[in-house]
Amino acid sequence: MKLRDMLSMAVSSLFKRKARTVLTVMGVVIGTCAIVIMISFGIGVQQSWMETMEQFGDLTSIQINGSMGAAMAGSSDAADISGGEDVKLDDKAVETIKNLPGVVAVTPAFYLNGVTISSGKYQFQGMIYGVNMADLKKLGYETEKGSLPGEKINKGDVLFGNNSAYDFMNTKKSTNNMINPTPKSDGTMPKPFVDLMKDKFELTVEVPEDSTQKQKAVKLNVLGVMKEDYSKQPQPSDSIFMDIDFAKQLQKKYNKLNKVKNDTLKEDGYQQVFVKAASVDEVESVEQQIKSMGFSTYSMTSERDSMNEQTKKIQMFLGGLGAISLLVAALGIANTMIMSIYERTREIGIMKVLGCVIRNIRTMFLIEAGAIGFIGGSLGIALSYLISHIINGVTAGSMGTGAGTGSGISVIPLWLSLGALAFSTLVGLLSGLHPANRAMKINALAAIKQE
Amino acid sequence: MGFISLKNVRKVYRVGNEKVVALGRVNIEIERGEICCILGTSGSGKSTLLNIMAGLEKLSRGTVAIAGTDVTGFSEKKWALFRQKNIGFVFQSYGLMPSLTALKNVAMPLVFMGTGKNERFKRSAHMLKAVGLGDRMLHKPTQMSGGQQQRVGIARAFVSHPKIIFADEPTGNLDSKTSREVMGIMVSMAEEYGETLVIVTHDLEIAKFARRIITIHDGYVVNDSRSDTPGGSTERKDAV
Repeated sequence: MKLRDMLSMAVSSLFKRKARTVLTVMGVVIGTCAIVIMISFGIGVQQSWMETMEQFGDLTSIQINGSMGAAMAGSSDAADISGGEDVKLDDKAVETIKNLPGVVAVTPAFYLNGVTISSGKYQFQGMIYGVNMADLKKLGYETEKGSLPGEKINKGDVLFGNNSAYDFMNTKKSTNNMINPTPKSDGTMPKPFVDLMKDKFELTVEVPEDSTQKQKAVKLNVLGVMKEDYSKQPQPSDSIFMDIDFAKQLQKKYNKLNKVKNDTLKEDGYQQVFVKAASVDEVESVEQQIKSMGFSTYSMTSERDSMNEQTKKIQMFLGGLGAISLLVAALGIANTMIMSIYERTREIGIMKVLGCVIRNIRTMFLIEAGAIGFIGGSLGIALSYLISHIINGVTAGSMGTGAGTGSGISVIPLWLSLGALAFSTLVGLLSGLHPANRAMKINALAAIKQE
Repeated sequence: MGFISLKNVRKVYRVGNEKVVALGRVNIEIERGEICCILGTSGSGKSTLLNIMAGLEKLSRGTVAIAGTDVTGFSEKKWALFRQKNIGFVFQSYGLMPSLTALKNVAMPLVFMGTGKNERFKRSAHMLKAVGLGDRMLHKPTQMSGGQQQRVGIARAFVSHPKIIFADEPTGNLDSKTSREVMGIMVSMAEEYGETLVIVTHDLEIAKFARRIITIHDGYVVNDSRSDTPGGSTERKDAV
């Protein structure tokens, strides 16, 4: 017997008993819907927590603290540093970390002291960082004007933070010499002193106040203005980023001019290095490897783990509630199939006498039961999307945009709907198994005699 | 050895603690293309005999061979495949699927054999025309008279051109006029296609359509008579 014929026979016998088929399918629809909606709540909770966490920090970012950072983090942490004080977060260490599996980009954040960036009478008051400019793109920084640098970096290339235009001070005035970046009464932002993309900026190394020698200013080449991103470290907002090698040269020059003996960079290495892992899943292994090098690290992973644990529990609980209704639907399918066998005993007997192989009879019954599961599952998923949409609409309306998260409280990812469809079909098949076996065992003789 | 060969066939039912002998010791040889009737009263064992020949019941002792194949120990699956190829069946109560049209009912054995759709309907339509129901092909059984329904049943039995047709009280639910019509169609089709036809009945009038009448009583063959022309018996032979 051809599969196509078995399919069409099974489907036509479903159509024969429309009312009962519809009722049984509805049971599966409700069951599937219950599971999908319940789990979608669990996923919604997880996603909104995830989004909240991402606002606090990039989940794929790992922060490595140098010896200074470790010391500041507290003495109790010192025991964690297996290598003792000997490990130094220097260029060699950064290079090693860069080559670890799962690492996408690395940059030290070198805080540059003792230089002045200015445009005419306006002087920059924010932070100046030396970073690995070539890796900024991979680290996830974005620009709102201009563009991030490519592989080739020139001395004097700089990127401004989006807020840094307000960090310029008018040096000719003693009061009211800065502009506050707060919106005016009409909602527009006040105009800052400088236009980051148009004005000319230059950098000078500071000299001691008693010194008479003048330092030659370095012209800066503004590549662009970075977008705001509070999850990034170092934060773009009030900063200027420049090439780390250039920054180190400038620092050396300052130290020499100002007779600073203590070169912290040489002695202690970088204070902080930021690492970007390829994915959230790789953060833990990368972090583990860096720790084994003797550095102390910090990432959002531990928070994420405990959060995942909790949401998993919530999802299982909600999914379990939904599963109860699908179980009831499964009983409905089994009941329908058994009833159908009683009704069709005679037909089954005739089919056997006419030479239908018993396995084909069984297959037809399984197809019928599976079809109920499949149709019910498909409709259930469609209904779930509708309900999910309505729930999200209602809750978004009542809570306003205050939640601040993009996704609703009910989220149905593709894997959930496909999984639910597979599951409902499986439930159909399983509940059809026993009736199908019974159909197989029907005595042809007795069946034919039945009127 | 005959085309259908039953040797020392015995069938005993167990009802509670009692043994009921349905067939004592039956030896029958039916030739290929023979049209024969198994005649007997109710409870004589004639239906049991038919069921054993069609593989619907297991025998207690003895051997059954059809077309040279020993089918005694066939499994259910083997029997199903064997019936597909070799056996057509006509039921007393027609055995039609109520939800299917006449055409689809006739095509049923071909579906089980895995015949393609076009081929199926071509052959089924041809058969329905042969039984005089060319204009009733898309009717459902409930829209047809008993005689018409049985003719659909006959078309179905013949559609796959099996070697043997078994008919179990084919006219049991029909009036005498329709019975004669139906029997006439069945016998003439069997002759036309050269098929072996075995009819089980309790009705002597029906039995007269056959050229050979095997009479069964209490599980034993008591009479086996042949005639060259249907309707009378010229040769008599007492059973062993």
